[in-house]
Amino acid sequence: MSELPRRIGGLVLVLVALALPLVLSDFWLQTGLFVMATAIGAVGLTLLVGVAGQLSLGHAAFAGIGAYVYTWSTGESTTTVSGAGLPPVVGLVLAAAVSALVGAAFSPVAGRLRGIYLGLATLGLVFIVRHLLVNLDQWTGGFTGRSVESFALGGFSFSNKDPDYLAVAGVEFEGLHRLWYLFLVLTLVGCWLAGNLRSGRTGRAWANVRDSETAAAAMGIGVARAKASVFVVSSAYAGVAGAMLALAYGRIAPDVFGLTASVDFLVMIVLGGLGSVGGAVVGALFVTALPLVLAEYSGSLPFLAAPGSGGLDPATTARMVYGLAIIAVLLFLRGGLAGAARRLRHRTSRTSPPSPAGPAPHDPISTDDVGRPAAVTPSRSKETTR
Amino acid sequence: MSYFLEQVLNGLSYGLVLSLIAAGFAIVFTSTGVLNFAHGSIVLFGAYLVAVLHPTIGFWPALLVAMAGCALVGVAINALLVRHLADKNAGTAAILMLGVDIVLLTELTRRIGNKVLTLGAPWGASVVRFGDVSLPTGRVVAAGLTVVAFAALWYLFSRTDLGVGMRAAAADGPTASLMGIRLSRTAATGWALAGVLAAVAGVFLTSFPAPGVAPTVALSAFAAIPAWVLGGFDSVPGAVVGGLIIGLTSALVTGYESDLAGVVGTGFGEVAPYVVMIVVLLVRPSGLLGSKEAVRV
Amino acid sequence: MSPPLLSVEHLHVVYDGTISALSDVSLTVDEGQVVAVLGSNGAGKTSLLRAISRALDSYGGAVTGGSVRFDGVDLAGLDTAAVVRRGLVQVPEGRRIFRDLSVEDNLRAGGYTVRDAKARAEARDRVFDLFPILAERREQPGGLLSGGQQQMLAMGRALMASPRLLLLDEPSLGLAPLLVDQIGEIVTEINRQGTAVLLIEQNAVMGLRVADAASVLEVGRVTAAGTAAELSASDEVQERYLGVAVPVVTTDPVVVDEPEIPTAQPPQQLRVEGLTVRFGGIAALSDVSFTVEPGTVHALIGPNGAGKSTLVNVLGGAYRATEGTVHYGDEELTALSAHRVAGLGVARTFQNISLALEDTVEDNLLVGRHRLMRGGVVSGAWKTPRVRREEREHRETVAGIAELLGIGHLLRTPVHTLAYGDRKRVEMGRALAARPSLLLLDEPVAGMTHGESQDMAETIRQVRRDLGLSIVLVEHDMPFVMGLAEQVTVLDFGKKIAEGTPAEVQRDPEVVRAYLGASAA
Repeated sequence: MSELPRRIGGLVLVLVALALPLVLSDFWLQTGLFVMATAIGAVGLTLLVGVAGQLSLGHAAFAGIGAYVYTWSTGESTTTVSGAGLPPVVGLVLAAAVSALVGAAFSPVAGRLRGIYLGLATLGLVFIVRHLLVNLDQWTGGFTGRSVESFALGGFSFSNKDPDYLAVAGVEFEGLHRLWYLFLVLTLVGCWLAGNLRSGRTGRAWANVRDSETAAAAMGIGVARAKASVFVVSSAYAGVAGAMLALAYGRIAPDVFGLTASVDFLVMIVLGGLGSVGGAVVGALFVTALPLVLAEYSGSLPFLAAPGSGGLDPATTARMVYGLAIIAVLLFLRGGLAGAARRLRHRTSRTSPPSPAGPAPHDPISTDDVGRPAAVTPSRSKETTR
Repeated sequence: MSYFLEQVLNGLSYGLVLSLIAAGFAIVFTSTGVLNFAHGSIVLFGAYLVAVLHPTIGFWPALLVAMAGCALVGVAINALLVRHLADKNAGTAAILMLGVDIVLLTELTRRIGNKVLTLGAPWGASVVRFGDVSLPTGRVVAAGLTVVAFAALWYLFSRTDLGVGMRAAAADGPTASLMGIRLSRTAATGWALAGVLAAVAGVFLTSFPAPGVAPTVALSAFAAIPAWVLGGFDSVPGAVVGGLIIGLTSALVTGYESDLAGVVGTGFGEVAPYVVMIVVLLVRPSGLLGSKEAVRV
Repeated sequence: MSPPLLSVEHLHVVYDGTISALSDVSLTVDEGQVVAVLGSNGAGKTSLLRAISRALDSYGGAVTGGSVRFDGVDLAGLDTAAVVRRGLVQVPEGRRIFRDLSVEDNLRAGGYTVRDAKARAEARDRVFDLFPILAERREQPGGLLSGGQQQMLAMGRALMASPRLLLLDEPSLGLAPLLVDQIGEIVTEINRQGTAVLLIEQNAVMGLRVADAASVLEVGRVTAAGTAAELSASDEVQERYLGVAVPVVTTDPVVVDEPEIPTAQPPQQLRVEGLTVRFGGIAALSDVSFTVEPGTVHALIGPNGAGKSTLVNVLGGAYRATEGTVHYGDEELTALSAHRVAGLGVARTFQNISLALEDTVEDNLLVGRHRLMRGGVVSGAWKTPRVRREEREHRETVAGIAELLGIGHLLRTPVHTLAYGDRKRVEMGRALAARPSLLLLDEPVAGMTHGESQDMAETIRQVRRDLGLSIVLVEHDMPFVMGLAEQVTVLDFGKKIAEGTPAEVQRDPEVVRAYLGASAA
């Protein structure tokens, strides 16, 4: 079917991503790091919200936990903050594991609440985690945050330290370049795993819990367990994303993981199309890169004003654009960018139709005469409310 | 003792302001099923209008304009956006409102900038004394106006056709429309009412002891979400009860912060409402006064 | 002669863009007339009322052809509220009173369109005259009224608008025979006071008794029409709706061959003992007991609201039993959660088809395999060779099941493009994919044409023959069950009123009364 062109397309994208550091400036590399970090978070959230239908406004809280666990476990103790001084790889695994654990601990709440009620409970989580981050200052550095140890694997540092000089094709490979490849590997693996989950037994179970918990249970799917598993998986993704953000920033503070960040994650997956892994990545690209790019090039964009002048400064413009984008997508672009792309593919492939061998043209009745047309069961609903 | 009493009165009067906002959440939710994440921005918009207009037309007329303006914004959001949502479920609508919130808040933030606008309220920073206890005049006025507002709401919902129609529409929209009740009209009324309440709340959230109109007000309006959830999603009386509990909780936690800091850390006053909310959601998902969800599949 | 008050001409209604609910339906109601529309579940009766009230939109339906004229005016382009203001008011099926509002506020909502205070007071007095009980209980929330009183409130609420034409959707639904008679008398009285009535009924006896004229609706088409007397005399109506002389089809003897596709476990005996289910004080089932022998087809029949679906939901673990037990073999189903019940090899279908519409038929069927697959989160994420192999094997099995049900060619098709009958098959396929030893079918032929339900009956026989499993069949349609089941249990008002072979049950006077109302027996 359309497998082959998709694979070729994917391969080309990977090759481009591999080659990009050779030509990009530091600004673009830095932007790329942020995009990849948030993309991982968005992929995790799209599994939770898009596939399993569990609305979460608390994704940033899990990312925050991941970021701080990584930073604490790899950091050295100083007079103000403690650290475990563990190897960075261990820190990364711990970041995922601790976030996943907190997700598991929170999943009983998810078992009791649905739809926007769950969304509201997770909203509380953001405030609670932020409070803890500010107050547990021996570990977190409090309100002002703490700096992050750079990543290293074996003796190979992902900063400008060791080995001192590394060059490929005449381009000097500095910390940013090295991190780019680390992030690229993490992102690819993350997307691949998420795609597998989505299309396999687990993903089908999640989607059924979303569509109808009653029907899911009747098929032998343990609803509570399915919800717990999706919370654990998405929290682990958030944890890794948090650790990556910590690495990309080099210094973290509680406000990075506030409500705004949670909303940003949601915006990404809605723009990209709920439930679509590729869509989540594209959404992350849009939401994360837009403000950075606008800020970088504000000088050469005549319609942008200087920050604080009351005009359209870059940050304001970026927020405005994606606020409007989310409204536009919800009103006009069903299924987000991924949905639009799917429809486009369908339309182009219609010319050589794999037409189903003629379902009867005369369709019988749809109403069950009870409440609503039987065939219009909560169609395509991304979640159930009470 | 008088310190305690002062905290309690502070909390209750602040709670009444929160309950105005919470009632806005409840009314919009029952009349259109939308979790209005843009409500905080509408509160800010109301305060902003008063701040901008009071030098020219005076405080009270400015407040009236703000009430009308907020009502209009609500009605417009409903008519232009919510009603055209392709995928009508509560989750998508909530995300849509997040988008609206981003746009509104960004624009208001841009206009306000780094300044803190003054409100020009006639009571200024004055204080009323009851024996040893002193309370900002603004809070006393707020309490009075809130009581009036809720009395008016009670009258509307129980004594007028429109109110009964709104309750019927909220209980069962399709059936209500079979009675000739236009759902678009009850929905618009709901959004308008919420807007009016938001404007009033906006004024009291930004007048003394608060410094003035600044973008952070939209966020402090978020504190009304726990109040709303606590009271029950579809209950206006619940919003009052929830507002009072949350107001009291955060006033007491903040008032006794130095005593509590060892246990819960500093700044817990901002978080306490959310902790209460999660506990209530777990124990009683329909809130204190909300109607139970049907158990039949 | 003056034009009819209501005239429906060549009406076509479609849901969700593809699924046709009414085709070429025409009927008229004259001033002062009572007209009944008869038909079984899924015949399109409610769709007809929605189309007349212009309320299809909120259910995803649309009128795609024909017209509805009220008092000479084409209603196309009007909204529901405008229709109500013209004097055409509907009492929806299932009463749909506002439970949290007091009786008085319910009536007030009904009189929403009446601006004149005096007219409104008169209307209310008339309603209280007609239903004295409502005056007595005016302060109470509507939800506290009994079923019959709720029906009265729903009718009174509609009368508050002083309609010229009253649309009644199944007013007898779920009411005891005596109350049904009473409601019938009230309809006659309302009509005597000058209101025309369009009455939708499944209870043909009641419908034909109060009506001047009637139409029979079957799968979206009018198949018979005439005066009430003509229809009562018609053979077909007698046979299908009045329960007279249903030909007894002898059930094929049970030949338990070696099943072609082995079930996970051989079927067990299903024992329901003293089962009671209450919803907030109202008993949906009381003290029901019966036994389903392994490998047999057991039908549960009864009028709407008899508690059949509640029973299936208890068997499947979706509802909790208030009292009593259900055993499947040695396991007590009533103590298990739904997914554990499924794990024992109990699979079910739903009355209102519950499929993932965006997904392909294959993916929907694979969900049925969930309990038989082992791939977990970790192995699934890494797509280990074992998971790949498992996925491939189960896809093959599922393809086999699709062939068995005649939907093999649709495997890659998204469900939302399928016809209704095919969707029913997909749902059955999903249940079969779980390799059940006990299959619960909740109204498998509701809304199907006669031909389609014959096909479905054949499929069920085949499934039973090939897979050697027990089937519990909940059905409304008596003739369908008669040709299929070895044992029948009849429910009415949550109680078991008869049990036996189809032939025995059909002759039982209790059953005849339950289906046809008190006066028929």
